Amino acid sequence: MRSALKEHKIYDPQMECMNRDELRELQSKRLRETVKLEYENVPLYRARMDAKGVKPEDIRTVEDLRLLPFSEKTDLRDEFPFGLFAAPKSQIVRIQGSSGTTGKPIVAGYTQNDVEIWTEMVARAITAAGGGKEDIIQVAYGYGLFTGGLGAHQGATKIGAMVLPMSSGNTQRQVLMMKELGVTMLCCTPSYATFLGETIREMGIKPEELKLKSGCFGAEPWSEEMRAKLEELLGIDACDIYGLTEIAGPGVAFECLEKKGMHVNEDHVIVEIIDPVTEEPLPYGEAGELVFTTITKTGMPMLRYRTHDICRLDASECKCGRTHVRMEKISGRTDDMLVISGVNVFPSQIESVLVGLDGVSPHYMLVVDRVKSLDKLEVQVELTEEMFSDTVAEVEKLRDDIKEKIKSVVGINTKIQLVPPKSIPRSEGKAKRIIDKRNI
Amino acid sequence: MFISQISVYLENARGTLREMTKLLAENEVDIMALSIADTTNFGIVRLIIRENCIDNALKHLKNAGFMAKKNDVICVGIPNKPGALDHILAIIEEADVSIEYIYSFNYNVDGNALFVLRLMESEKVIELFKENNIKMYSQEDINRL
Repeated sequence: MRSALKEHKIYDPQMECMNRDELRELQSKRLRETVKLEYENVPLYRARMDAKGVKPEDIRTVEDLRLLPFSEKTDLRDEFPFGLFAAPKSQIVRIQGSSGTTGKPIVAGYTQNDVEIWTEMVARAITAAGGGKEDIIQVAYGYGLFTGGLGAHQGATKIGAMVLPMSSGNTQRQVLMMKELGVTMLCCTPSYATFLGETIREMGIKPEELKLKSGCFGAEPWSEEMRAKLEELLGIDACDIYGLTEIAGPGVAFECLEKKGMHVNEDHVIVEIIDPVTEEPLPYGEAGELVFTTITKTGMPMLRYRTHDICRLDASECKCGRTHVRMEKISGRTDDMLVISGVNVFPSQIESVLVGLDGVSPHYMLVVDRVKSLDKLEVQVELTEEMFSDTVAEVEKLRDDIKEKIKSVVGINTKIQLVPPKSIPRSEGKAKRIIDKRNI
Repeated sequence: MFISQISVYLENARGTLREMTKLLAENEVDIMALSIADTTNFGIVRLIIRENCIDNALKHLKNAGFMAKKNDVICVGIPNKPGALDHILAIIEEADVSIEYIYSFNYNVDGNALFVLRLMESEKVIELFKENNIKMYSQEDINRL
């Protein structure tokens, strides 16, 4: 593992290195405020708390968190678009979004305060990865509703770095700018970073000719093996960054240069690990589902939001000096969500597209693979009598129609493979819909 | 004036065509004409077989997991001489009809090469063929081959 950058930089030492007892106090105070805000402004939460017989006054400290009801991604879909907002629309200054579970998008609203909190989280993450105002930071996450691009952009701007808003794609030009401007830090998905690294090699550029020193890579799960490859390819320190739109965006948790887990911004969120079946909180060190409660957001605060991500928390001291608890890399999901090039894809979205097309069979299989460091999704669809024709043009048109429809709903390009009838295995229980060939 | 054709969807993978021909062989189906439309990831095989084998062939293909379907095509006789195919195509072009595909039989009949035509507007062209004395073959003619 590389460690060219030994010095630990901390953006906000007062908050990030706070004594844990004081932190607990702060969290309890902020939790009380958030619960009150939610109860008074969001009918869904009020109804849920009433149903559990919990009043805002019952929540006094972080320990009382377990009395509160959970929230889920489906809540964002059901209350789409503004139902979960705790602030009036006039105070919302930003909408970000991601794909929902069934094709309907989900959106999150941010007040000015929320944008600032989010920005600060990313500023901490970039600082932890060695960033500062002397840096030139290339942001190659997509800009748009997806939180990656704007999140990294705001954070990098906040620390006073020179920001290069490249967005994703146009790889050769990315490399050219990286070289010509002497970019020192890179923010993008790990798979795109690897692809950039390979393109750099193919263009005959050696890592030594670049000034890159580190990067924040996230929006999709990646392994230690991939880290090693990325660090070798680009000659950098590669740090993981975690986040989700519902909670803020990237930066909810981030790695320092120790690269031993991601520090959760505990002054802004409370993190829990629960048993996904019994829904009981689990102690630090045990693997379970990650649950977040925001305690400073005002636009769309979330109480006990179930991420469906599985990981472990580590409360041991970190050499960097931060006291905030660290989360390990995500080891799996409790649902069947796939993350493909940073985009969340649910098999149910694909299913809703197929079911909505005349004559198309609902039997399908998703095959995910990583080709030249980029994720590829192949959708295998069983042919039916109605779909099949003796002319190539008609079969290809049908294939393209399916591809376009999926693209419009899920937002990613897929390869549609029409397969013979009954060739997709039928199962008696829960159908197996995914073959993931990637080595993450 | 149509004859029946069977089309079969094949995945573009080694062995799939043979799998199909083996199945037809086992069921004693004589392939009288065949064409394969291939793309990078799938192919469509079109077959002309005798009428009395069609239902049986379809049944076996489907049981074996193939997507197979029957549809109508035209069969014309094209004299074995220069310009004969061109003459036919000129008639179709004159009529402003698009050709989906065309392929030939493995048989010679009365000095004619037999061609299978799949057109956008078949009826219109059939009438023109009749007017131009173009020999077309019926299903009965094919069955007798």
